[in-house]
Amino acid sequence: MRVPVAVKVGAFALVVMGTYTYYANSIPQIQSKPPAELSLEGGNVTPAQLVKAGEEIFHTKGTCEICHRIGQKGTRAPDLAGIGARAGKTKPGMSAKQYIIESLLQPGAYIVEGYPNIMPQVDKPPIALNRSELWALVAFLESLGGNVDVTLDDIPKTAGAAAAGGAAVEIKIPGDPKAGEVVFTTKGGCIACHKAGKIGASPVGPDLSQIAKIQTPDYIMKKILDPAGSGTVAGFPKGVMPPMFGQTLTAKEYVDLVAFLMTLK
Amino acid sequence: MRRAVRRSAWAALAVVALLTLLSALPALAQDAAKEPAYRAFPLIGSRLAVWAVAQLHLNFAAFILGVPIFAVIIEAIGWRNGEAQYDWLSHELVKLTFAAFSTTALLGALLLFLFIGYYPKFWTYMTSIFFPTYGIYAALFFAETFTVYIWYYGWDWLSGPRKWIHVGLGVLSNLFGTAILLVANSWVTFMMSPAGIDDSGALKGSVWAAINNFTWMPINIHRLIANIVFGGTICAAYAAFRFLGATTDEERARYDWMGYIGNFVALSAFIVLPFAGYYLGREIYAFNQTMGITMMGGFMSWLWIIQAILIGVLFMGSNYYLWLGMERIPGSERYRRYVPMLIGILAFGFMVWATPRSMVITLDEARAMGGTHHPLLGFLGVMSAKNTAVNMMILTTFLSFVLYRRANRVSTKSWAPIGMAIQWAALGVAAAIVIFFGVYGYFVESLVRIGFSVYQVLAVLGAIFVVMAIDIPMFKGARSTGAIRWGTIAARSQYVLILLAVTFTWLMGLMGFARSGIRQHWHVYGVMRDNSVDAATPAIGYAANMITLVTIAFFLLVLFIFWLGGLGEKGRAEAHGHAAPVIAGGSGPMSGESRGGRNPLLK
Repeated sequence: MRVPVAVKVGAFALVVMGTYTYYANSIPQIQSKPPAELSLEGGNVTPAQLVKAGEEIFHTKGTCEICHRIGQKGTRAPDLAGIGARAGKTKPGMSAKQYIIESLLQPGAYIVEGYPNIMPQVDKPPIALNRSELWALVAFLESLGGNVDVTLDDIPKTAGAAAAGGAAVEIKIPGDPKAGEVVFTTKGGCIACHKAGKIGASPVGPDLSQIAKIQTPDYIMKKILDPAGSGTVAGFPKGVMPPMFGQTLTAKEYVDLVAFLMTLK
Repeated sequence: MRRAVRRSAWAALAVVALLTLLSALPALAQDAAKEPAYRAFPLIGSRLAVWAVAQLHLNFAAFILGVPIFAVIIEAIGWRNGEAQYDWLSHELVKLTFAAFSTTALLGALLLFLFIGYYPKFWTYMTSIFFPTYGIYAALFFAETFTVYIWYYGWDWLSGPRKWIHVGLGVLSNLFGTAILLVANSWVTFMMSPAGIDDSGALKGSVWAAINNFTWMPINIHRLIANIVFGGTICAAYAAFRFLGATTDEERARYDWMGYIGNFVALSAFIVLPFAGYYLGREIYAFNQTMGITMMGGFMSWLWIIQAILIGVLFMGSNYYLWLGMERIPGSERYRRYVPMLIGILAFGFMVWATPRSMVITLDEARAMGGTHHPLLGFLGVMSAKNTAVNMMILTTFLSFVLYRRANRVSTKSWAPIGMAIQWAALGVAAAIVIFFGVYGYFVESLVRIGFSVYQVLAVLGAIFVVMAIDIPMFKGARSTGAIRWGTIAARSQYVLILLAVTFTWLMGLMGFARSGIRQHWHVYGVMRDNSVDAATPAIGYAANMITLVTIAFFLLVLFIFWLGGLGEKGRAEAHGHAAPVIAGGSGPMSGESRGGRNPLLK
């Protein structure tokens, strides 16, 4: 029996494509996930927690590791081993933390000899670290041979302002912020644990006074409905925030609450 | 004639529908501003829907933009030389393009619907930047459509003394087609390397700054060349399919010749494609180092190994086809001794190019290997070695082609020995320069090393230029050792042509994923973040599954469209006055070296 040409050609093409597909599936599978936002503001974070969070940023959202190595000379960027000790002596009159902060926010201000001026500003998109993340990253870098003495106030207030990813995607929350404030202080009971500007003062949960500046609406909405699934801010105990707001709040109250939180800048 | 009118009416309707849609965009954009940022496409999700339609659209667009470029060149050759088979081939190629034209437009419209419907915020933003280009695009589309229609249907009407007008129409349709490509590329490249906007993402001044972004021109050049390669491989695969199903020697000879031309076109353009790729890569680094490094050394690092394997298959396949083709050329026996050397260089180059360097590996794997790079092979994974390998593969492929070209010809020029010595010297010097800079690159800083690739490329292009400048006059009026026996090539050669088409189509899908994937979680890199459920960039295996499915769908659609196109021609072999020519082959040798003894496109 003669096999039709179309069948032979089709089978051949399938074998070719199948081979490529099989090979592509047999090698390491790496997905590029969008980086999660880290918020440390208002929290009682220990230096050790801060350094740990900074190390995570170094390897993930900060994408520092693409060029910098620790304990290994790179061709694109300097070795960061001992940077915490070295940084204070690099530029006269500048402390270690000042030098590190300047290197992150204005990388072109001082170029280490032998390396090209290729480092991007890490608080600008596409890396877009927020103030909390910058704080943690500086702490981690200081810890590499030096003392961790950076505070959130050391990070310029303007840093990370563009971290949300551009105004083009700004989301308008349709709720009423004033009604949301009422939910925050009454039915929602948020005030029991969180501070929001002049309202509340309890240190049980993170200070939300600038939450809209450092977090996306998506995160805030998800956090209210699924607190455990959205992670816990470093320095605060896990599992404290109640998971039942999806059942107790009406849709309007929920949207109003989010609208109120989005005014906290 | 009635069929032609009906086709024209359908095309006109499609254009009018598209124009209406484009004119409605501002209103749609306003509506979109009130809408959610995303909607979910049923069952498969919005990302897969857009991915499938975009890849299919790009495949068809590449075909209908690439094929007319060489179709008009072939037509012009036939016109100047008065050889009917070139006119037939050109008409045959335009016929294939013509059949795919409506499908391309429909897929483009479908893609637009998907963006408007499922990514309304994104589309609103793109419209806020590129709205002035929409009208230009529509006008160009109009012009392109009707020029191609007149070109195709006016084949007989504009023959004879009016042939120059007809060739001019072919040139014009290519100019319009290329302009369409440039406009569409400005949208795509803006998403990768946005320019001309302020910190909030709003257009600062003229839209030209957004169009002329870092990657626009490199992508224009890369896509233009790649479209020619793609068109050539698809036409060659079509010819191979017809060859394998041919029932007469004449038919086999005709499609053997067509397959050869398709492969020749693809190969000629393919040789320069890596250079365009380097240019694109350099501009990506110039735009944003992070993006460049993520692309080459980050989560996409394995993708380039797969790309290297596919390009290796393309190089090996193209050369193998030429060597098989030489078996049907009397006199080619003289050159068979070179084949083992050529295989050796290609195989070694292939292995070097496919050697990984900075791979994302597990800790256990790193410990087992003693670091992130293999202690010995890691040295072959760097750019110095890869540039050297690909340039040597290009030189080798060019040498295969030169040997094929002169397989049945003996130069009668008195200066031929000197000419050949200069040719070998040019190839030798180019190889020496390529290897020298390849080795020297290990001892200099990366910025200096990047510049070396320019010298390597110039050496290869210079050698190609010198060899051809000597070859053409040297073999003018050469003595023939026998006519090419078209149609007698081994059947496995036709499967090589199909392998090349499938591989290149798959490679296009892979490169599309790379281009889109390096934006990671951004719709517009650094400006508009992807906040959808599909914001994560999938791993290579997932992408490969998708690419394969879409490639299968593409070939099924192509088969269907070609079958439809063929239905109308059935029983009317001489439609439009284009009788299939008899090519020298199995039915008996033809006299005249132009039919059988010479490379048809390089006289």
